[in-house]
Amino acid sequence: MSTADLLQFVASGLQNGAIYALMALGFTLVFASTGVINFAQGEFFMLGGMLVAAEVAAGVPLGLAVAGAVAATAAVGALIERFALRPARASGALTLIIITIGCSMLLKSAARHLFGPDERAVPAFSEGEPVAVAGAMVQRQVLWVVGLTLLAAVALTVLYRWTKLGLAMRACSVSHDAARIVGIDTARVVMASFALAGALGALAGAVVAPVTQTAYDVGARMGLKGFAAAVLGGLGDPVGAIVGGVVLGLLESGAVAFVSGTYKDAVALVVLLLVLVLRPQGIVGRHLGEKL
Amino acid sequence: MTSVQVVAAVAVLAVPFLGADRYLLKVLTFVGVNTLIVLGLALLFGYAGQVSLGHAAFFGIGAYTSAYLSSALGLPWLVAVAAAVGLTACAGWAVAVPGLRLKGHYLAMATLGFNEIMSVAFVEARRFTGGNDGLGGVPFPSIGPYELDTPASLYLLVWGVALVALVGAANIVKSRPGRAMRALHCTEPGASACGIDVSSVKVRAFTLSAALAGLAGSLYAHTVGFISPTTFGLDLSILLVAAVVLGGRESLAGPVVAMAALTLLQYLGALVPGLSRQAAEAVQDWVPDIVGLTVVGVLIARSRGFRLRGRRGVPERGGQG
Repeated sequence: MSTADLLQFVASGLQNGAIYALMALGFTLVFASTGVINFAQGEFFMLGGMLVAAEVAAGVPLGLAVAGAVAATAAVGALIERFALRPARASGALTLIIITIGCSMLLKSAARHLFGPDERAVPAFSEGEPVAVAGAMVQRQVLWVVGLTLLAAVALTVLYRWTKLGLAMRACSVSHDAARIVGIDTARVVMASFALAGALGALAGAVVAPVTQTAYDVGARMGLKGFAAAVLGGLGDPVGAIVGGVVLGLLESGAVAFVSGTYKDAVALVVLLLVLVLRPQGIVGRHLGEKL
Repeated sequence: MTSVQVVAAVAVLAVPFLGADRYLLKVLTFVGVNTLIVLGLALLFGYAGQVSLGHAAFFGIGAYTSAYLSSALGLPWLVAVAAAVGLTACAGWAVAVPGLRLKGHYLAMATLGFNEIMSVAFVEARRFTGGNDGLGGVPFPSIGPYELDTPASLYLLVWGVALVALVGAANIVKSRPGRAMRALHCTEPGASACGIDVSSVKVRAFTLSAALAGLAGSLYAHTVGFISPTTFGLDLSILLVAAVVLGGRESLAGPVVAMAALTLLQYLGALVPGLSRQAAEAVQDWVPDIVGLTVVGVLIARSRGFRLRGRRGVPERGGQG
């Protein structure tokens, strides 16, 4: 295998890895502030792609369409928290998770009613031939994917480290009760993390749609892979989520390059099961101190 | 068995003799198949408290094993069924043992991942499964020269097995293993303090539950004669969990009735004679919405203290603070 081939696989690994990282960030933010695994995260991804496709078809300029899709999905995330999860907050984590499963059924079905059952295409963010990077031909959209993921990661770091909301989110991830004692409106923080998760998922869905196409039923599998990335990096750890996403993307394209492409979609899931069973705190996570 | 249960069983078995048409019988046979799967999940999830979002995969393993052995290798039906149940039980055991380390939502995600892996395998292992085109020409169930090839006989076979399984499950629930399962659902440390081998109960419940799904899969394959990967996807797994959630914790009848309702909802055209084709299709189109809304609504109502009927057990601990 030549260096150029190898770089090609690294590029496709990075592209998928960036998407997984965005999804994993969505899972991790919600988990950190609520202890809930949000099954609807995959549907946020689907909504991002489908909304952009629908908006572009209706004549909205692409940039505006992406912004609109991200904003709308963030609103959907906030609404799910407010009207489906908050009323049931007193029950156990498993109940809340099944509620998010119900929500994901609703979102998927709503998307089918609204946008139809067919695959939808989204135009590339910038026209032009693939760019040569060190001998490998990389599609321009891949640069968008990686670039926007980096941008989102930086924005999130700023939010988490240096804003009041970020401080409140970190407090909630330590203890809700303690956060409330010092005057943090925990309900608002939880809602904000769902909105952020929606925005991240939608961004992932919108930015990758030009490469992969999109459809109403792409959410579940992407959700699982994003969750695999989050677990790989250590659930609840934003840096881990990004590392986990990139590692997972590279592992997947490595498996395609060196083994076979037939079971590409199973790689992430096998990784998920192995990590859950062997090292549930993730590759960069600390020991959790309790059995999962 | 109480007299009500006997009457219900007789009524179920009498359906083919009441002049139900072929299509309706077929639909009701599917209900029987789904009853078997949901029964296993009710034991595992409703009683032992171990969630599985991978039961459609066990159903699929049973179906593909049975179909491949009887159509490609030409083995007798009973051998194929036995192999399907055995292999699915092994698969259940193989998922349950590492799954012992996982609780609650991690187990949910792991079984979901298992389901997706099997979905990929059903499509990609073309030599055995026929890939996306599916596997056809599965022979009808037969013992020696006798072949069950009419809708009525298939209905009786499936429901006969389902009723036997129901009686068996009801006995398990009432006896020692059933009490052990309920105990570990309430509190694991408490259960082990009472001398219950928690790991062993979990693994056995999982294995039995998978075996029931495998049996259902085998019956399904021989009843319809053709299987394809889409049947065994996440949607079914989620529907099964929804049925157990709606049917209620620590109940067998609840999940069975809920699953029957969810199954029939998809075939409303067969049930309501006067229903136009368009109306039936419209209902079918909105099934996921109806299920999703009901699940969310029921869980919210329950967590706010609304109970349809009294239920034992301690409330779960809060997760969202």
